Amino acid sequence: MPSSSPCSIRALWILSSQDNVAFSRRFPVVEKRWRLACARENERSESVSVQPLLPTDPELVSAFSERKRREGSAQGFGIRLAESTQGSDSWVDDPITRHIISLSIKREGSEEEFMLWPLVLHTKGSYYIIILPFVEPQQFKAYEKLCTRSDCGGSVGEEHSLSSLLYNLPCITGAIMVAHTVGDIITGDVVDPDVVISSSASVGGLLDSLTGSIGISARAKPVAASVAASSTSGASAVGAIAMDASKSTFRPIDKDALLTFLSSSMPFGTPLDLDFAHVSVIKANGFSSSDLPPAELKQPAWKPYLHKGKQRMLFMIHEMINAAMYDRDEIPDSISITGQVNCRADLEGLPDVSLPLSGLKNASMEIVSFHYCVQVSEHGDDKQALMFSPPLGNFVLMRYQALCGPDPPVKGFYQLSMVSEDEGAFLFKLQLMEGYRAPFSMDFCTVSMPFPRRRVLSFDGNPSTGTVSMTEHSLEWKIVTSGRGITGKSIEATFPGTIKFFPRTIQRGPSLPRSVSRNTVEEDTHSDAEQDTSNNTLNIEETLMEKMNKDLESVDLEEPFCWQAYNYAKVSFKIIGGTLSGMSIDPKAVSIYPALKAPVELSMQASSGEYILWNTLGKCPSTVSPKVY
Amino acid sequence: MEKQQSMAKQPPLPSLSLQEWEALLDDFGSGSPARCARWLPLPLLDLALNAFLRRDFASHLKPLLLLFIDDLLSSPTSAPPPSDSLPPLFDALRSLLLSSSPSASDPSPTPAAALLRDQFMTTAVSAAVSSLDAPLDASSAALLEPLVEALLTVANRPNHGPDRQSRAAACECLRELESGFPCLLADAAGHLWVLAQAERTHVAQSYLLLLATVVRDIVLRPGEPEGDQAGSGVPLGAAAGPDTGRHHGAGLDLDQHRWRAGAARADGRGAPEDAFAGEDERNIARRLALMAREAHQPLVFRLLALHWLLGSPRLGKGKDSLAPLAPRFYPGVFDPLALKAKKLDALACIAASLDTLEMRKKGEEDGRRALIVKLFQDGLVCISAYKWLPPWSTETSVAFRMLHKFLVGVIPHRDDCSEEPQLVFLMDSTIFSTLQSMLVNLALEHHGLVLVIGIFIDQLLKCKGHQSVGERLLQKLDEHLLPKLEMGYRLTSYFPIFERIAENDTIPPHGLLELLMRHIVSISVKHGPNSGLSLWSQGTKVLGICRMMLKHHHSSRIFLPLSRLLAFICQCFPDLEVRDNARIYLRMLVCIPGKKLRLVLNLGEQPTGVSPSPHPGSLFQVPSPRHSENIKMSGGVSSYIHLERVVPLLVKQSWSLVLPKSNMEDNTEASHVVGISDISISPSAESDKDGEMNFERISYIKEPLRVMDANVAEILGVLRKHFSCIPDYRHMSAIKIRIPCTLRFESEPFSHVWGDGSSTFGSEKGETLPAMYATTISFSSTAKYGKISPFRVPFLLGEPLRNRYDIVPAGNSFEEDSSHRASVNIELEPREPMPGLIDVAIKANAENGEVISGRLQSIAIGIEDMFLKASIPPDIEEDEVTGYYYDLFHALWEACGNSANTGRETFPLSGGKGAAAIHGTRSVKLLEVFLDSLIKNVEKHLASYVVSVIGDPLVNIVRNNGIIRDVVWENDAEAFVAHDVNALVPYSENLPLQLPYFDEQGDAENLSPVSKRTIGTFIILIFLPPRFHLLFQMEVGHSSTLVRIRTDHWPCLAYIDEYLESLFYT
Repeated sequence: MPSSSPCSIRALWILSSQDNVAFSRRFPVVEKRWRLACARENERSESVSVQPLLPTDPELVSAFSERKRREGSAQGFGIRLAESTQGSDSWVDDPITRHIISLSIKREGSEEEFMLWPLVLHTKGSYYIIILPFVEPQQFKAYEKLCTRSDCGGSVGEEHSLSSLLYNLPCITGAIMVAHTVGDIITGDVVDPDVVISSSASVGGLLDSLTGSIGISARAKPVAASVAASSTSGASAVGAIAMDASKSTFRPIDKDALLTFLSSSMPFGTPLDLDFAHVSVIKANGFSSSDLPPAELKQPAWKPYLHKGKQRMLFMIHEMINAAMYDRDEIPDSISITGQVNCRADLEGLPDVSLPLSGLKNASMEIVSFHYCVQVSEHGDDKQALMFSPPLGNFVLMRYQALCGPDPPVKGFYQLSMVSEDEGAFLFKLQLMEGYRAPFSMDFCTVSMPFPRRRVLSFDGNPSTGTVSMTEHSLEWKIVTSGRGITGKSIEATFPGTIKFFPRTIQRGPSLPRSVSRNTVEEDTHSDAEQDTSNNTLNIEETLMEKMNKDLESVDLEEPFCWQAYNYAKVSFKIIGGTLSGMSIDPKAVSIYPALKAPVELSMQASSGEYILWNTLGKCPSTVSPKVY
Repeated sequence: MEKQQSMAKQPPLPSLSLQEWEALLDDFGSGSPARCARWLPLPLLDLALNAFLRRDFASHLKPLLLLFIDDLLSSPTSAPPPSDSLPPLFDALRSLLLSSSPSASDPSPTPAAALLRDQFMTTAVSAAVSSLDAPLDASSAALLEPLVEALLTVANRPNHGPDRQSRAAACECLRELESGFPCLLADAAGHLWVLAQAERTHVAQSYLLLLATVVRDIVLRPGEPEGDQAGSGVPLGAAAGPDTGRHHGAGLDLDQHRWRAGAARADGRGAPEDAFAGEDERNIARRLALMAREAHQPLVFRLLALHWLLGSPRLGKGKDSLAPLAPRFYPGVFDPLALKAKKLDALACIAASLDTLEMRKKGEEDGRRALIVKLFQDGLVCISAYKWLPPWSTETSVAFRMLHKFLVGVIPHRDDCSEEPQLVFLMDSTIFSTLQSMLVNLALEHHGLVLVIGIFIDQLLKCKGHQSVGERLLQKLDEHLLPKLEMGYRLTSYFPIFERIAENDTIPPHGLLELLMRHIVSISVKHGPNSGLSLWSQGTKVLGICRMMLKHHHSSRIFLPLSRLLAFICQCFPDLEVRDNARIYLRMLVCIPGKKLRLVLNLGEQPTGVSPSPHPGSLFQVPSPRHSENIKMSGGVSSYIHLERVVPLLVKQSWSLVLPKSNMEDNTEASHVVGISDISISPSAESDKDGEMNFERISYIKEPLRVMDANVAEILGVLRKHFSCIPDYRHMSAIKIRIPCTLRFESEPFSHVWGDGSSTFGSEKGETLPAMYATTISFSSTAKYGKISPFRVPFLLGEPLRNRYDIVPAGNSFEEDSSHRASVNIELEPREPMPGLIDVAIKANAENGEVISGRLQSIAIGIEDMFLKASIPPDIEEDEVTGYYYDLFHALWEACGNSANTGRETFPLSGGKGAAAIHGTRSVKLLEVFLDSLIKNVEKHLASYVVSVIGDPLVNIVRNNGIIRDVVWENDAEAFVAHDVNALVPYSENLPLQLPYFDEQGDAENLSPVSKRTIGTFIILIFLPPRFHLLFQMEVGHSSTLVRIRTDHWPCLAYIDEYLESLFYT
């Protein structure tokens, strides 16, 4: 029977960074379906046959390392470069081929070779998770054709493009979800969303609410805050060449947990419920005779246990602000806010909660997603009412984007001018929390100037407020420190100074192969260009820049740009007591059916994501912001 | 308990230890058939089941045991037949279920035990589904029955507290069975309905899904074939009943909004067109666009959302509906580059949709064009850093990828090949015009990106569909970029573009050549004192371009400008090596016919690669003076023993053309160089087999019948006669040429080394001179001169001592004194007429008995040494000789000029075994010398080869001089030239070479004034051993002479050119 479910998985492999199979699992039921489909397809078309084969672990490993070698890294180039070879993923010329890959499997002990596609590749920690979902053989053939065609690279409007192929493959989505969940499980990154009440520590997750109610001490709280963790880390990658894997330390896989998860959530290869918290709680707790089902209503799938005990509802709005501040006439600043509403509903029975939202238009807010327990009853441009039957524990009720709030909390400029190759003068002038009134309070604010490619020798200069420290590759200016936050007032901070670097030594890390090999370029320009610079009247800044850029490494496609090519200051801060978009929830407007007496609490905070002050005197990356959305 | 007893009744099983089990699981886990093989003889299934049911078996291995059973029974190769494997499996399952049944008085099992039990159910179902084939036959159905029963029993306890997970698992198992064997549970549908109604715990979903599957199969049952129908089956939600809709889907949907998008997709495909109102569709599109902007989403989902938008048949094809979304596709600053790239794809898609034919027809040109340009430029800003980042940066790759998508978006690749009319459409597009001017500016302002631009164009050039787009871009660069470039060292950055222009024969080469000329002039003039290396590199690069031109263009097209450029370089360029190489190229351009030249140049070519530095070394053998250096260092004999040519060479030959034969692509080309083919099935696997015997045997055997006219027959007759006099050097002694030399040695240094004080001759007096006895001079050469026999000189006296300051009389008096000088004849049997060096070694005895040995200076052999008169057949009387030569000349002239008549003919050589074929080549050379000088030189050096003199004025002069005799004197100068209008042809057979000697365009018409100015014509026939010919027809004028050259050995043209220059200009 062909796939009636959106996603079935033929096999799953987890490879360690040393290319050993740490775990593998095949699903015979799905494989049988694939064999039948292949037989049907081969009967139908005489041209190219599809092979109903699965690789053994060693075959897969060798194919994977071969691909790594050919494509420069585990993820590959992603777009077609001069090195790309016909028949490989990068030949298809689409960045998504870094995540949905193909492998060419050589059968052990024979010359036979066959292709495997689509394989969802997810890199997590030091592991590669590779998942092979079931697709129809025609779809497989369509891809095979795509990556071997001999033209100059596909265009988007084509009839048989990768896009139209992916559009017809819902299994990819499912496979990616599985990959991410598996990744979280093996690295232990399964984290509940934060819910903080006032300023006290956040409330625990599902297991805590269960164990808490039965009187068992809660497990240790995971440290990472979920919002920050999921954002793309730009500055964190600065200074380190972004290579696949090797980001987190090695830790062995909890095979037992993984096996349990797979057999409960996808016993036959078709995912049923990917909520790891559910699976692990049920495995740990089971059900007893005292767990009675509700008398009349049906328990939703996302709520296997019912709450008992003290009732309350907590909402927390968490916003993150990304800003690129230019302080230039020709480039407008770009500021965007992403936010999420985390929720925890300790309510007995199976009540429905209704939450009206308003003022969406004022805040230019767009809701991007809801938790699956939410039903949107009415919605208009400015109004939206949510109805949901909350699960147990913390969950993200919704996520949204807002374009512009009030003035950004940190404004000003950063200027750095190199007076010689190893010495620069800089000036900061910042205005903090201008226009933010009383409940808003800035918890901390730090400005750092990274110099990933230079070693800082010394600096000179005193800020008007705060303290400055120096590390090998950066200066850090703490303007507001935690515990001495500022509330209801605005401050101005300036910091003029000079900075000296050690003389530059050219150091080259491993570089990813790119369309233009460095050697060709250098060989060409070296002897002739040297002559040229002497009689050219470029200003010193540009000459320095050119020199610096000579040994600039190309970045990974996952980065927004080559951070190392720019001078900038990165601001980090946290603001509590309100949101920057103006988004808020009126606790009084929250209603519960059947009516329950439960207090509703709300907390709000905003923190910085990528908050960058570009050096006003240097180059900076920018984009065009269209007027209309 | 009961079960264990029953098992005990069976023949005893071998049991495996824990370690053995671990090893077994490990081996099977590896997937390597070799490692599994050793276990296969065991009754693995029974062993595994037995172990699994044992309570004392290690609990951590039990889940692995289940996976093992699953793999074992589903393996298409090693699985036992289902009738053997399934019953014990189901038995085991039943016993396990019974033992933990709630009706038993046991307390409810631990969660872990319950989990294991559920997994066992899964394993059993998995084994059943993968080993039985649908539709079920009676025996298979019977096999399944106990399993279904067992599972239904588990599911049959709705709302029971502790085992709700097991019930869910049982439902999933049943659903999988139903999916594998449709309608298996049809009879139980009513019962399932009741169960689904009753279940209220969170596993209600599983009951509903099971019911939905069963109901669907019943609906689809009546004789429907499997396949497509089932694929677009009733959506689960619709079948699940109204009251259950609220919660059931959660697990499957994975994530709400993704589900929605998925639903959009599913419905867009399966549902009738009007299922989506336009508003809904727009909402979904908006949502997908929004999702691409969600920073918290994993990157892959953001990319996927864009793909769905672009791939949706309703959104992507009706591209207009994407246009309003354009602002949402603008990349953000912090978007990963991968996402930026994909968003730019979307913008490219929208731009392309605005540039379609319908849109162009709609009018509103300005607005439309402006919008396209805006999308393009806004898009580029997002990755603008590529302009100043190094060319290998990722930004650069993304930027050029975007250029490509925008460009190609207008006419995407199609399966059919009808691209041509479409291309015009593309060239007219807004994008194309924007892009080409952008590339020009980019190249001007950011020289670092030139190489990348080159690669970008290559990409188009390599594509079948867009090759002409690439060519057009190159043309634009040629037109607009080249004139704007400034001279100076920076120009080197642009060489990657120049190379591509030079390579492409759709682009007229004049612009580039002029630019290079200016460049060379400027660096020749301006170079500083320390710029040696840079000059060399610049010059070499320019020559690289010249080489490409030679390779890819017809000589006629580039002849004038390229020869000027090369001439300038070889005269004025400061770097010696560059000058030398330029001279070689110039000579090649002038001397080697175009087609062959390209072939020659291709030989040393690397398959790919950007560095086009010329490697003349691989093609030209430059005889190195290595020997003599060594000799000098060791105080060798060559410093005082001299072997010298009697007649010095006109041309100081410094190079010779080496033609590698083995890798010639074109066999016919190769063979005419070698040229002799065997007639018989000769057993001549003889000495010089290597490389020289690449014959056209087939063409000889299967010679086609031809119609011949009398004229041709006559020519053939003459030729046959002539060739039959030429010995086939492979079978008999070849034609020899002699190089007369003299051997002498200087007494003083000789005595110093060999004579010592005991010399019988006093050194003060003239008569006491040293002597060499029994001197043997042996020769060797890398050139193809055959074996050169050594020469012996029995006795030789040293040259009398001479005061350094003596004035030596002009007619050196020692010359005649044969006791001081021995004449030595070097006899060569050339296999090919080519210049070369002959290495000379000497051995002799000194008076004191010591053996003198060493190397002497090499002897240079020039092309003129190869000149011989053609031999005369024995039956020709003396007075017939001039006539014979005259006829022979004309026959050869005809044969070398037009191979249509003689090209396939072979001419047996003397000796009867070999035959030659004629493949002629023509060339011309203009000599700018005055009449007197020309005649003087011809008389001095070529007199014996002159066959005929034509034209009264010339005949009169030459006759009076009396040096040239016994030739045919003809009066009618026009006669010979007139019927030879085609003489000025081609280096290549296909295209007329327009030699611009007298006029820029030098057409055939211009020939008449040439002949008018002619005073007369020399006809010269030279035989080149072993069997080739060189024919000159010199049209003598007052101040210049045009030499038409034909030969059946084209490589010699290279030397002839130089020879003629030396002959007449020095």
